[in-house]
Amino acid sequence: MKLSTYVIKRAGYAIFTLIGLSIFVFVLARVLPGDPARMAAGPRAPSWVVEQLREQLWLDKPIYTQYFYWLKDIIHGDLGYSIYTRRSVTQDVIEYLPASIQLIILAGIFEVIGALILGVMAGRYSYKWPDNLTRFISYIGISVPAFVWAIIFQLLFTWVMPIFPTSGMFSPLMIPPPEITGMSTLDALITGRFDAFVDVLWHMVLPALALCLGGMAQDARIIRAGMVENQEKDYIAMATSHGLPERLVTSKYLLKPSIVPAVTVMGMDVASLLGNAFLVEIVFMWPGFSKYGINVMLSKDLNAIVAVVLIMGLIFAIANIIVDVIVIHLDPRIGGK
Amino acid sequence: MTTKESVIKRLAIAFCMMMIVTAFGGCLGEGKTPEKKTILRAGFAWPTYIDPAEGSDYSSSTALCNLYDPLVFPTETEIKPWVAKNWDVSSDGKVWTFYINEGIKFHSGRELTAKDVAFSMERLLTIGRGFSYIYAPYIKSSNAVDKYTVKFTLDKPFGPFLSSLVRLYIVDKEEVLSHIKTPGAYGEYGDFAMEWLLTHDAGSGPYKVKDVKLEEYVYMERFKDYWKEMVSNAPDEMRLLALASPPTERTLLMNRELEISSQWLPEEILRSVDRIEGIDVASIPAGGSLYLMMHTKKSPLDDIHVRKAISYAFDYETVVRYIFPGSPSAKGPIPSIILGWSSDVPVYYQDLAKAEEELKASKYWPGITKHPENYQIELHWCAEVPAEEKVAVVFAECMEKIGLITSVVKTPWLKMVEEMGDQETSPHIVVVYVSSHYPEAGSILESKYHSKSALSWEQNEWLLSDEIDMMIEDALSTIDQEARFAKYGEIQWKIMELCPTLMVCEQTMKFAYQTYVKWPAGEGIYIPVMGYAIDGRRIQILPH
Repeated sequence: MKLSTYVIKRAGYAIFTLIGLSIFVFVLARVLPGDPARMAAGPRAPSWVVEQLREQLWLDKPIYTQYFYWLKDIIHGDLGYSIYTRRSVTQDVIEYLPASIQLIILAGIFEVIGALILGVMAGRYSYKWPDNLTRFISYIGISVPAFVWAIIFQLLFTWVMPIFPTSGMFSPLMIPPPEITGMSTLDALITGRFDAFVDVLWHMVLPALALCLGGMAQDARIIRAGMVENQEKDYIAMATSHGLPERLVTSKYLLKPSIVPAVTVMGMDVASLLGNAFLVEIVFMWPGFSKYGINVMLSKDLNAIVAVVLIMGLIFAIANIIVDVIVIHLDPRIGGK
Repeated sequence: MTTKESVIKRLAIAFCMMMIVTAFGGCLGEGKTPEKKTILRAGFAWPTYIDPAEGSDYSSSTALCNLYDPLVFPTETEIKPWVAKNWDVSSDGKVWTFYINEGIKFHSGRELTAKDVAFSMERLLTIGRGFSYIYAPYIKSSNAVDKYTVKFTLDKPFGPFLSSLVRLYIVDKEEVLSHIKTPGAYGEYGDFAMEWLLTHDAGSGPYKVKDVKLEEYVYMERFKDYWKEMVSNAPDEMRLLALASPPTERTLLMNRELEISSQWLPEEILRSVDRIEGIDVASIPAGGSLYLMMHTKKSPLDDIHVRKAISYAFDYETVVRYIFPGSPSAKGPIPSIILGWSSDVPVYYQDLAKAEEELKASKYWPGITKHPENYQIELHWCAEVPAEEKVAVVFAECMEKIGLITSVVKTPWLKMVEEMGDQETSPHIVVVYVSSHYPEAGSILESKYHSKSALSWEQNEWLLSDEIDMMIEDALSTIDQEARFAKYGEIQWKIMELCPTLMVCEQTMKFAYQTYVKWPAGEGIYIPVMGYAIDGRRIQILPH
C-alpha cells in the first residue's frame, strides 16, 4: 500500500473516531449533576436570567437537537459559547492551545533527546554501571509524578538556586511580543524580539523538564531493551567482525531497529502530555490548554468540555498517524504489511 | 563523518547553545527594568469577571472595587458619601435622591454624571447577573433628574438600600455604548458591551485596566487623574493573579514575587511562611459563618428538642481551636462584624447533660437512642473543602456520645446544590459557609431563613415560616437604621429559639503578606464588605 493511501485511510478512520468521541462526550457532559445555566448565572440570579441562558445554550431542547445545532456550528468553525470565560470557545482555544503546544514541543524535544542518550548508554553498556545508573534514573522518573517534579524543580531552581523563574510566561517587566500565531516563542522570533524569545524559553525550561521526565524514563527503558535484544543478532556480530567502528555499529545498525517500539510510545507520550500537563501548568502558572480544560470541567462548561476533549482526541489522532509514518520510514517492512 | 551525522551534530550543538543562552539570557532579561514601579501582586481563585454586571465573587469584587467607584463607600463601621456627596429619602422610603460630586473623571476622561449612575443600574438589572439580585426585587426606575442628581424609585421600601449601594459600580455610559456588539441578547443594546468589558473597564476608580488574560491575570495601573486622595506609596500597579497551587504561592512569597497570598493557603503552609522573616499572616473576617444547616422538616430534626440536643452536644471548641485556629466562635446567626448583629443573643455551647435532657423531651424518645439506626442523621459536606470533613467527623463523634448515629457523606458541590434545591432531596444536615451580600444582617437573615430563598444552596433549614418571613420583610422595609437593627435583633433571638442551624464559627480568611506592604486589613482595620480588603486606595508599598 502506498504511504499516501495509508495516511488518507488512517485520517478517514480518525474522523469517524472523532465523531463517536464527540457524541460520547456531548452526552456524558449533559448527564452529569449540576445545572450549567444556573452555575453561569450565579446562585442568586433570577430565574428569567437562567432561562435566557438555557435558551442561549439550547439546553431547553432535546439532547439530539442540541447535538445537531452544535454540529452545525462546528462546521462553521464555531465551538459555541463558554459559560466559564463568557466568550466564544473558539477564542479560548486560539488563546490557550498554542501556549500548551509550545510547552509540549519543548518537552517532546527534551524527552526524545534524553531517552536516546539514556537508552543508548544503557543498551550499549548493559549490566555495567551506566546501565545501572540509567535504570535508577528511569525508576525514579517513572514513579514520581510530573507535578511532584514540578514542585521539586520550582523549589530547587527558583528558591535554593534561583536560576530559573518561578512561574508565568514572561518576566514581570518584560513586554510580551504582539500576538500573531499565539505561540509566544514564534511571535517573538517573527517580530524580531530576541529578548522576549529568550525570556519565554527561559520560563519554559522547568515545566517542560517536569513534564517530560516520566516519558523519557519509560522510553529509555524501551530503547535499552531493544538494543540488548538486537545486540545478539547475527548482523551485529557480522558488522563488528568486519571491523566497523563501534560508533557506526551502534548508531546505524543497532539503534535503528531498536528504536521502532520506542517511537510508537514516544508519539503517544507527546500527545498525552497535553492531557497530563494540567498540574504542571498550575504549579508554574502556565496559561495553557490543560489547565483551561480542567477549569471548564469543574464549571460544567458544556461547549468547552466537548471542545477540549475533541481537540485532545484530534491531537492524539494526528500523533498516531505521524508515529505510523515515522515507523514505516524506519522499518519499511511494516508499511508493506 | 557523513553529511547526515554532521547535520545532527550541528543541530545538537545549536540546541545546547540555545539552552545555555536561555539560562544566561533569561537572567539578563529579568535585569531589564525600563521603569521602577511599585507593584502589588495578590493571588486569587479564578475566574475574575471585571464587568460590574457580571462579577460578584471575591476576586471579581476586589477588581471592581479598584476599577470603579460606587455612590457610597463602606468603612469599618458605617457607610460614607463617595460619588454621592449627600442624599434624601422620601418619607415612605420609596424615593431615594442622590446628589453627585462634580468633576469626577472616568478613565476615558469624560465626567461622571447622573445619567451614568442611572445607566449603570439599568444595565445591571437588564443583564440580571452579578449583584443585580440585591436591587431587582425593589428598583422600579432610575432617572437622572439633572446632570448631578439621580433618583431611584423603589417598588417597596428597602431599609438597607444605602448599604447595598456599595455594590453599584458606576460605568461610563458613552464608553459602554461605544463598545456594544450587535446583534446581542439585549435588543438595541446588543451585547451591552459584555464581551468588551471582560477585558476592559469603563470606570472611574483609582486603577484602570492595563491587561487582562482571562485564565491568568488582571493587571491594573494607577489612574493619574483619580479624583479622591490616596495614601502615599500606593502601588503603581496592581496585579491580581490566578493561583491554584499552594506550593507555588509559597515559592512566590519566599522569592518576594507575591505581596499578598490567596485566602486558600492550607494551615501548614501559612505556618511555614509565617516563620520567614518579612512575611506575616493576617486573619481577616470574611463576613460569613460556617453553618451546619438542619432540615427542620425531616425526621428526627423536625423536632425542636432533637435540634437543640444536637446543638448542645456539638464540640465547638475543638473546631475553633484545632480545625480553624484563629476563627472566632459564632455568636449567633449573624457574623459579629456585620452591621445589625445582635450581641446579646444566647448561643449554644457543649453541655452533654443538657443535650440528653433535650433528647428525652423529644417525641422520638426513647426510640431515638434505643434504635438509633432508625433515626440515622445524614450529614453532607462539600468534597471541594477538605476541612469540612474534619468538622463532619467531630460532629459524628459528638452525636455518638448522646446515642445518635451519623452518616457522613462527601458530596461534590454541584450535587450538593442540586440536592438543596428540593425539600425531598435535601439531606438532614449540610455543612456550608454563607456570607452576607451587603454589609447588613438583613442580607443573611433573608438568604438563610426567608421562604423565598428556600430553594437556594444558602438554605437547607426549610423553615418555611410565615412568622419569620414577615419579621424579615418588616425589618428590611424599615428605613430608620436604629429601628431596623432592633428588628434584626428580634429575628436573631427567634432564630436561636427555633434552633434550625448549628452555628459553628465565623469565617476568617487568612493571608500571608510581605511586611513591606502596609496593609490596613492585615493590621486589623478591615471593611466588612467582600472585596474591599485589597483596596489600592489604602495600601502602601514601603521601600524595601
